[in-house]
Amino acid sequence: MKKLEKILRFFSIVVGFASAVFFVADAFIFAQLRPKLVAFETISAAEEGLMNWVGISLVLFLTFCLLSLLRITMYLKYAKKITIFSLFLIVIGVVALLFVFGDLALLSDIGKQYKHGLDQPEWLLLFPIMGFQFTTILIYTYIHFFGFSKDNQVDHVARDSNIFLIVQYVGVVCGLMGTAGSGLRYMFPMATIPAHMVATLVTLMVPYVLIVGYWSINKLQEKPRQWYDEKQMQDVGKSAFFTLVLSVIFMMVQFTANYDDLAGVIRMVWFPQTLFLILLFFSLGNLYFTARG
Amino acid sequence: MKLGNRLRKFRFEHDEMTQQDLANAVGVSRLTIHSIEKGKFNPSTLLALKIVHFFNVKFEDIFYMMDERVQE
Repeated sequence: MKKLEKILRFFSIVVGFASAVFFVADAFIFAQLRPKLVAFETISAAEEGLMNWVGISLVLFLTFCLLSLLRITMYLKYAKKITIFSLFLIVIGVVALLFVFGDLALLSDIGKQYKHGLDQPEWLLLFPIMGFQFTTILIYTYIHFFGFSKDNQVDHVARDSNIFLIVQYVGVVCGLMGTAGSGLRYMFPMATIPAHMVATLVTLMVPYVLIVGYWSINKLQEKPRQWYDEKQMQDVGKSAFFTLVLSVIFMMVQFTANYDDLAGVIRMVWFPQTLFLILLFFSLGNLYFTARG
Repeated sequence: MKLGNRLRKFRFEHDEMTQQDLANAVGVSRLTIHSIEKGKFNPSTLLALKIVHFFNVKFEDIFYMMDERVQE
C-alpha cells in the first residue's frame, strides 16, 4: 500500500508540474491567437496546430485532477474527521475537473463562431475558468509536494464512513452544477438546445460515478462485506424518502408550469433536471441525517 | 421510553478506547458509535449484543430503559 502511495505521489507531482507548464504555454498560445480570431484574420496551419497543445494540456490537467482526488480520498479514508480544508480540496478538484468539459465546449464554440464570422464572448468565460484551474494545479502540487498531515490519521478502519460522506459531498457539487446547467436552458431559445447538449450535461455525473466506483471497490474489499453500516442504512432510507417526496413535488410543479408548452423546453431538460435534482436532494439528505447523529 | 446507554463510560474505563477502536471491534463505522453514545440512534439487537460481548458485561450494564418524561 505504501509503495502504491509513493508511486501515486511521484506521478501526481510530475503530472502537476507538466500541467502547470502547459497551462502557462496555453496563456501564450491564447495571447497569440485571440487577437487574430476576434479580428477574423486568417490563421495559419501552424497556428491552428497550437490548439493541439491546448488539448494535451487539458488531458494532462484531467489526469492530474483524477490522481489528486484519488490521493485525497485515500488519505481521508483513514482521517479521524473530514476537515473544512480537506472538503475545500475536494470541492475545488471536482469543480476544476468538471470545468475541463466547459473548456472543451467553449473552445469548440469559439472555433465555430470564428468560422461563421461571429463574435466570441466565450473568451470572457474561458480565461477565468482556466485561471481557476491553474490555481487548483498550484494548490494541489503544493499539497502533493509537502505531503498530507499524519496527525489526523487512524491506523485501521473496519467500516468506512468518510468515503461515504465524500460521495455525498461530490453528489452535492455535481447536483448543484447539473441543476444550474439544466436551468440555464430556460434562458436560451429552443433552437440552441440540440439533444447532444442535453446529453453533454450528463457528463457532469462523471465525478460522482468515479467516486461511487471507488466507494464500491472499497466495499468489495471489506470482509465481512456490508454495503451500508446500520446507521448509514437508516440515513439512506430517510434520505430516499425525503428525495421521493421532493422530486414528486418538483415534477408536479414542472408539469403544471409547462402544461401549455409540454413540447417546449421541458421536452429537452426534464431528464438532466430530474437526474441532477434527485442527486442533489439525495446527497443533501444523507449529509443532513448523518450530521444529525 | 428510550434506550439509554453507558457506552462512553465503558469506553473510557477500557483504556480510554477511541470510538474508532470500538467501531472496528464490533464492525461498524465510527459515526454509528458516536450516534449511539449521543442517544440519537438505537443499535440493532445484534450490534447491542456485540458491544456487550466485547466489554464482557451484562446487557443491562450498558443499556437501560429510560423514561423520556423523567429525562425532561
